[in-house]
Formats: sequence, C-alpha cells, structure tokens
Amino acid sequence: MGRLRYTTVRLLQAIPVLLGVVTITFFLTDAIPGDPVQIMLGPSPSAQQADAIRAKFGLDQPLYVRYVNYLADVVRLDLGESIYYGVPVTQKIMERLPVTLFLLLSSFTFALCTAVPLGILSAKRRNEPTDHVSRIVALFGVSTPSFWIGLMLIIVFSFKLGWLPATNIVLPWADPASLDAVDPDASWLVARWQVVATSAKHLVLPMITLGTLQMAAFTRIERSSMLEVLGEEYVKLARAYGVSEFTIVRKHAFRNAQLPLLTLVGLQLTSALGGAVLTETVFSINGMGRLIITAINNQDFPLVMGTTLVFGLVFVIGVIITDLSYALVDPRVSFEGSE
Amino acid sequence: MTDEPLLKVENLQTQFFTEEGTVRAVDGISFEVNEGEIVGLVGESGAGKSVATSSIMRLVETPGQIVGGTVTYKGTKIVDIEEGPDGQPRPSEEMLTDEEMREQIRGNEIAIIFQDPMEALNPVFKVGAQLREFIELNRDVGSAEAREIAVDMLREVGIPEPVKRYDSYPHQFSGGMRQRVLIAMALACEPSLIIADEPTTALDVTVEGQIIDLVHDLEAKYDTSFVWVTHDLGVVAEICDRVNVMYLGEIIESADVDDLFHDTKHPYTEALLQSIPRPDQTVEELEPIVGVMPEAINPPSGCRFHTRCPDARTVCREFHPTEQDVSEAVTATHRVACVKYESIGYEDARPLETEATDDFGSGLIDASGEDA
Repeated sequence: MGRLRYTTVRLLQAIPVLLGVVTITFFLTDAIPGDPVQIMLGPSPSAQQADAIRAKFGLDQPLYVRYVNYLADVVRLDLGESIYYGVPVTQKIMERLPVTLFLLLSSFTFALCTAVPLGILSAKRRNEPTDHVSRIVALFGVSTPSFWIGLMLIIVFSFKLGWLPATNIVLPWADPASLDAVDPDASWLVARWQVVATSAKHLVLPMITLGTLQMAAFTRIERSSMLEVLGEEYVKLARAYGVSEFTIVRKHAFRNAQLPLLTLVGLQLTSALGGAVLTETVFSINGMGRLIITAINNQDFPLVMGTTLVFGLVFVIGVIITDLSYALVDPRVSFEGSE
Repeated sequence: MTDEPLLKVENLQTQFFTEEGTVRAVDGISFEVNEGEIVGLVGESGAGKSVATSSIMRLVETPGQIVGGTVTYKGTKIVDIEEGPDGQPRPSEEMLTDEEMREQIRGNEIAIIFQDPMEALNPVFKVGAQLREFIELNRDVGSAEAREIAVDMLREVGIPEPVKRYDSYPHQFSGGMRQRVLIAMALACEPSLIIADEPTTALDVTVEGQIIDLVHDLEAKYDTSFVWVTHDLGVVAEICDRVNVMYLGEIIESADVDDLFHDTKHPYTEALLQSIPRPDQTVEELEPIVGVMPEAINPPSGCRFHTRCPDARTVCREFHPTEQDVSEAVTATHRVACVKYESIGYEDARPLETEATDDFGSGLIDASGEDA
C-alpha cells in the first residue's frame, strides 16, 4: 500500500501548486503594459469598436471578477479564445503541445542514453584519459548556448554536407499523404515506416541541440554519484563475496547511483522548456515555444496565460514523475512513516 | 589432517602511496589461523587492523598496495609478492589471479563481516534477495534452494519470522538485526574462515553480548575459523583462542588468550590491559595510555612504541625489536617484539624521557640548562 498512498498524496499536493501558477500568471499578465484591444484593432480605433471588443472578452469587468471567472473557466478546462488566432486556446495548445513534448522526450532520451554510460565510464576510469575527455565534453555542453549549437549543426549538416534537414519538421504520427518522401502507392505499413524514418531524420539536429545541455549536466552527476556509491560499504561487501566488477556496477551500484540523476532530470525540465523555445525558433518548429513567443509578441492574454499554465503543468507533472520514480527505485522513500 | 595452518600470513606489507608520502599501514605482520580457531587482531584505531584484513582478501583500494609478503590459505598462495627485476614488488607466478581470487576464495572460502551493519546492506534490495545472491554465487545451488538456505540461516541467527523478514528491506531492521543478517550471510556461504572486522563496535553493549554469544554457538556448530578484529580486549577475552596485538602496522605480541592476559610481556599490551576495567583486578583508577598513536606515515625510530612506553630506555630509540618466542612451554608460542627480550643491553641503558614520564616543567628546566 505504501506506493499507492504515496502516489495519491503527491498528486493531491500538485493542486495548490497549479492554483499558484494560475494566479501568478493571471496577475503578471495583467501587469504587462500595453492594451491588447489596441493591438487587435490597429491604430486609432473608434471608442465604440474598442468597447465592443472589451465587452466580448470581458475586459470591462474589474480585475477580481475576471480572476474568479478565469479560475472557473480553467477548472472546466476552458482557457478562453486566442485574440491573435481567433480559435480556442485549448485547441491551439492541443495542436502544439505534442510537438514540444515529443521534442523534449527525444532530447531527454538522447541525453540519458549518452550521459549514463559516459558517466559510469568516467567513474570507473577516474582520472584516466576517458574521464578527462568526458569532462571536456561536459564542460563544452554546459557552457555552449543551445541556439549556437543549433545554428552550427544546421550550417555543417544541412548546408555544407546536406545530410540532414533543418526545417519543416515531420512528426512520426503525420499523415503519409502530406509527405513527398512517401510513396503514394505503398501499403499502410510501408508508408508509416517511411513517415517515421523521415521524422527521425528531421529530429536528429533539434534533439542534439536541445539535449546537449542536459547530457552534459547528467554526465557529471552520474559520474559523481557513481563514484560515491562505488565507495559504499555494501559495494565493498559485494566485492568481498566475489561479485564481479561488472555485476557490481550493473546491479549493486546502478540503482543507488541513479537517485541524484532522477532529481536532476526533474529539475532540468524547466531549463529544457526554456531551451525548447530557442530550439523551436532555430529549426522553425511549430511547438509550444514558438506559440508562447507569438502570444507574448501580440499581447494575446488568454494565449499567454494558457501556454504558461501548460508549461507549469508539464513541470509539475515532471516533478511528480521524478518523485514517483524515486519511490520505485528507493524503498525507503515510500515506506517512510508507514512503519 | 596436516599440521599446516588454515591461514598463514608471513611478513605481509601494505602501503598507501599518498601525496604526503608513503604510509606503511601494515608493515610486515605474520600470524597463523588454525582450523576451528578464533584469532584476535587487536589494536587502537589506526594500528592497521582493517588494512591487514582487506589485504588478506586482496581488497585494498588505491592508493593502497600490497608490497610484500605471502598469505597462504589451505596451501594456496592468495598473496605472494616478490621483488621483480626492476626492484618493484610484483605478484609471483604462484599467486592467484584476481579472477581466481574472486571465484575461488572470496565468499566461498573466506567471508567477511563488516564493522558497520547500517551501511553494509544495500538499501534498495530486499534482505533475502541479497542473501540469496551471495549464496547462489558461492555455493553450487539454484535459486529456490538458495532461498531456503537463506531463510534457514536467518532463523539460525535468531531473526524472528524469517520467512516474512526475508522480504523486508534493510531499513526495516535494527542495527543488531542487520549484524545478524550479515553473520547469516557469512555463514550461509559455508566458508572455512570468517574475517570479522570489528563486528560489534557499532552496536550497543547488550546487543554486542548477544552477537558474541551467537558467534560462539555458531562457531562450535559449523567449525568455522575466525579472524576477529577489534580494539576491545573484553571481547577478545570472551571469544578468542589466540591474540595478536598490533601497534602501528606491526604485531608486537601474540599469544594464547590466557597467556596474554595473565602473563603479559609487552609494555603496550600491559598498558592496554590497564586501560580497561577487569573483573579479576580491583583498581582505584584506570590508567589510559598517554598520548596518541603516531602516524604511520612517519613512524618513530627504533621501537615504534618508545614514544609512549613507560619502560622505554635509550636503546629503544635506536633498536627495532623483532618478534621473539618467549614461551616457557614447548606446546604454546608466546611471541613478543620488545627490546627487553633482546640481548642488546636494555638493562644497562638509561631510562628515556618519554611522553609517558615527561611533564611540562621538566622540559622548561632542560631548556634553561639548570639541571646541568
């Protein structure tokens, strides 16, 4: 029962956090200088037109009434209508969110798949050449801005070598009919495969761009936590009972060493969301990052609030997943207080 | 059965190569463990006891290195360091490889019980699973059988409801219970020798008593030999057959437990005994040993104990004593490394001003030359 109860508690705890996100976003957005109505109507609109728009969006009401109304709407999953696009905010988000989530997921997968082996290798070969190389790679990774990495990758792999596409990202779930690369006569399975293959080619550069920073941070934390765990008494005990070094790393040390990494993965979600804004801009990907920029540039209040709320939500869910996986890895977490 | 001891340690030397210099943590120790015997390795913190045991298991970690000596276990050389052609120590051809050491010796022949039971179990795995893994690795049994052995062993070491506790995590056990688990672990692998590295130091006294009783019973039942590392002479008196007293990387006295307590030869052992309460002697006040043990990185010249020895004389500063058999009986050996028992003129030498006899005032008078 320990884990189930723990999960429920953590989920309930997310509610006040999200309420805070909604509240802060609402009042911050209101504090932004400039009048959205003016942006919508262009220069010198008639007072009558402006009033009509204000009435339509409820902007003529006092702030606290608007806040309460907004909260009520959010609870009903209604985030209002985008002023700029003229469609419901939720619709716009549903369109863009999968793209960004997909980008985040693939860049984290890339980061973890490279960082974990690299970190373990560094720890096992401490202060040997492998360790130094990994340290330099990590240093490069954390200190290079992602947009620069993106631009360099585009210059080298798209323009100079022509190996990988730099724009017009294709998602694996795209309609095969919309793609030139797909043979129109191919069977469903072949067509699907061609879409996925095209998508993978499109994904490589943005994935590396967004994932490099995470990869660097993860490598360092993996190395240090692995080093620490390898010095633990229970690792010495395993050695004293004739367990091979490989099994020690794979089994006795691995799970314990992943705990600090898990925490970092959850925290890096914020910086990755920020990185997504830049990466999407560099590669012209229509995801949440570009949506939020468009929203801010056009003072599209409902859209700004909606996208920020979703970013907050993604982060909160990320932290919850981190905590839950913590409980899965370390029995001491979920059993705490139950004994 | 041959007369060959189970474990024979000869002139074992382990050094740590640090930036400050070479630490001679274990500096040429020799001792033997016979079958069914519990041999104590006693000394203050920093005497090199734990380094000695990890050297026997070949588990010394960098910057430490075994630089000399031989450890023979059941006729097999598990450590055998010789001088290479370049003058550097190197393993001899007879010495087991790391692979052989891991597969043939660790766990199934020699098992170890660590000092801190709170840290020695892996927090993310169930206690039973950890036991089972080591049993499977070190005995020729399948998973199901290993599980049965594990449960039986948990029952044997006094864990209540062993079937249920098999599926508990280490954090659900108390310190004493965890030490019982570690003892179960060692015994379950059916080794001939168990090295217990201060197994009761981290436990409170009542639990310590229980654990010692348990080891007593199990030792008799399984006929396992023990190397029992401790700084507690009370524990030694209770369970050991023979005792080796270590000081700064050397064994300075080794004797049967009764001889050591009742016919103490070395001033250090004497001092150790005087610093603990004894049921057979009533004293007004305990006498602690003056000063702290010097660092092994720069040991004192001559006899290493002369800086703290109440019996020290000038000759102790120059002459490094080696172990002599001072036993009067033919059957037993009582070896001691003290200048007193060497014929190089201890009797005629002038007593040394040591930390033990020195006080602050005498130093001042010396400096002003008033005593001349």
